[in-house]
Amino acid sequence: MERRTFLQALVASAVAAAAPSTAALAASRSSLRYLRPPGALQEQEFLEHCIHCGQCGEICPNRCINYFGMENGLGSIDTPYIIPREQGCILCMKCGEVCPTDAITEIERDFEAILSGVDMGHARVDESLCLSFQGKTCGVCYRACPLPDVAIYVGRLEQPHVTDECVGCGLCERSCIQLPQAIRVFPTRA
Amino acid sequence: MAAPTINEGAAVHHKPFFLWRHLNKLRWLTLIIVFAMLVLLPFLHIYQTYTAAHAYDLLSPGEKQLYDVMESIAAPFVSDPAEDLDAVKGNTWSGSFWGFKISDPLAALGQVAASLSLYWPFLLTALVPILATIIFGRFFCGWICPATFIYELNSNFASWLRWAGIRVGNRRFDKRIKYGVLALGLILSAVSGSVLAGVVYPPAIIGREIYYTIAQGGLGAGTIFFLGTLLFDILVARRGFCRYLCPGGALYALLGRYRLVRIRRIAETCNDCAKCNVVCEFDLDPLRDGFGQECNNCTACIAICPTDALTFTIRPSDYPEQGPGHLGQLYRKQQATEDTDAAS
Repeated sequence: MERRTFLQALVASAVAAAAPSTAALAASRSSLRYLRPPGALQEQEFLEHCIHCGQCGEICPNRCINYFGMENGLGSIDTPYIIPREQGCILCMKCGEVCPTDAITEIERDFEAILSGVDMGHARVDESLCLSFQGKTCGVCYRACPLPDVAIYVGRLEQPHVTDECVGCGLCERSCIQLPQAIRVFPTRA
Repeated sequence: MAAPTINEGAAVHHKPFFLWRHLNKLRWLTLIIVFAMLVLLPFLHIYQTYTAAHAYDLLSPGEKQLYDVMESIAAPFVSDPAEDLDAVKGNTWSGSFWGFKISDPLAALGQVAASLSLYWPFLLTALVPILATIIFGRFFCGWICPATFIYELNSNFASWLRWAGIRVGNRRFDKRIKYGVLALGLILSAVSGSVLAGVVYPPAIIGREIYYTIAQGGLGAGTIFFLGTLLFDILVARRGFCRYLCPGGALYALLGRYRLVRIRRIAETCNDCAKCNVVCEFDLDPLRDGFGQECNNCTACIAICPTDALTFTIRPSDYPEQGPGHLGQLYRKQQATEDTDAAS
C-alpha cells in the first residue's frame, strides 16, 4: 500500500466518522435486528467503552456472540452482537465478567440480578404466525425460556404471552419452529 | 590432521559466555509462544463449548478430532474444562489471566479519547504495560507483538526475494509520521465515539482475526488491511508499517523515551563492521550510538555483533556519540595522525 493511498483511506474514514454519529446511523437501520450482549450499556455509551478486544465472544459457552464487520457502520466495527435466530443467549453472564472496559457490565448470575440488570430486548408474539394461536398446541418458546412463568406464560392451548419481565435473551426465537418465526426479540436500544 | 592447534584451543577458552548474545533466541521463543497462544486459545474455546454442551456424540469426525486433541492438551491442567479454561482469555490487545486483566496502553488511550472520560477500572489494566514500557522502552514491539512475528518473517522473505534478484522496496520516510497516525487515530476515536485507534493497529487486528478465522468462521476486514501492510513492507519500505505508521508503536516509543534499560555500544571493542546497522529492523544507527526512543530492545544487533561490542546498560538516555570503534581502521588512522601530530 502506498503511503498516499493509506492517508487517503484515513481521510476517507475521517469523513465517514464525522458524518453525524455512526451510532445513530446504525440505529436507524431497522433491517439489522441484533442484540448486544447481556448487561451491555446503552448503544452510544457502549461504543465509547468497547475496545473491540473480542473476549466476550471468546468466553461465550453458547457461541452466540458474533462480531460486526463494516455492515453496521465504521463505529461498530468488531463490536459484539447476537442474532437470536442464529443463537440465543443462555444468560451465563460470563461476558460481563471478562469485559475489561465494562462496556458489558458485570451482573451476577442470579435470578433477581438478571431480572433487574439485563435488558437486551423484548420478545413479541405474532399471533397470526404462532401455531398455538392457530389451534395447534405448541409451547416450544415457553419451554425454551430460561425465565418461565416470569418472562413468559402460556394460556389456553399453550398460547404464549410475554410479560414485561422479559430480558430479551432470544432463546424463544431460537427455538420457535415456525418459519418465519412467530416470536421475535426486538432490541431495547436507545 | 584435524586436531586443534594450541592457538585455536586458547581462542575457544578465552571467548567468554555473553548472555545478551543469546537473548535474540529467547525473543523468538517468546514471539512464537505468544503467537501459538493466540492460535490455541480459540481452539480451546471451541473445545470448551463442546464440553459445556455435552455434545461429543453429536460432533462430526473432524470436530471429534479437535475435541480429542484439545482434551489431551488441556487435561493435565484442568478438571472442568468448561469453567477452568476461562482463566486465560483474550489477546495482546486486552487479555485476562486468572481474573487479572491486562490491556494495551493504546486501548486505554483510545478509550479515553472515545468516551472523553476516565474510567479507572479499565485504565488501571494498562498500568503494568505502561510501567514495563517506562523501564524497558518499546519492548512490546520486539518481544510480544504477534504482528512483529509475521513482519519479521516477512522481512526475511523480502531479503530472499532480493537475493533471488527481485527488487524490493527500501524507501525511507520520516519516523515521526506514526505520531501523526496516533494523533489522527485518537481524534477519529473522539469524533466517532468509538475506539477506532485499534482498527489500524496490527497486534489488535491479528488477535481478533485469528479468533474470527478459527472460531467465528471467517476473516474480517482487518485481514485485508494487514495483508496491505505486509505488501507495503515488501514493496515500499522494510518494516515500513512498524517504523513509520504504527500508532501503538508511536505510543510505546513516547512512553519509552527515557527508558532505563537500553542497549549501548562499547567503543573499545567495536570494529566498525556495521552489521548492527544492517540487521536493525527499525533502521536505527547502533554503530554511531543512535538508538533513541525507537529502539525496541530486540537485541538483534547484540546477537550479530562479532566482537560483543553491544551490551545492555541502565541509563535514562543514550551515550553521546563515541566516535569510531577502537578495533576499526578509522580509529587506528586517527590514532596514528594524533601520534605524528604529537611527535612533530
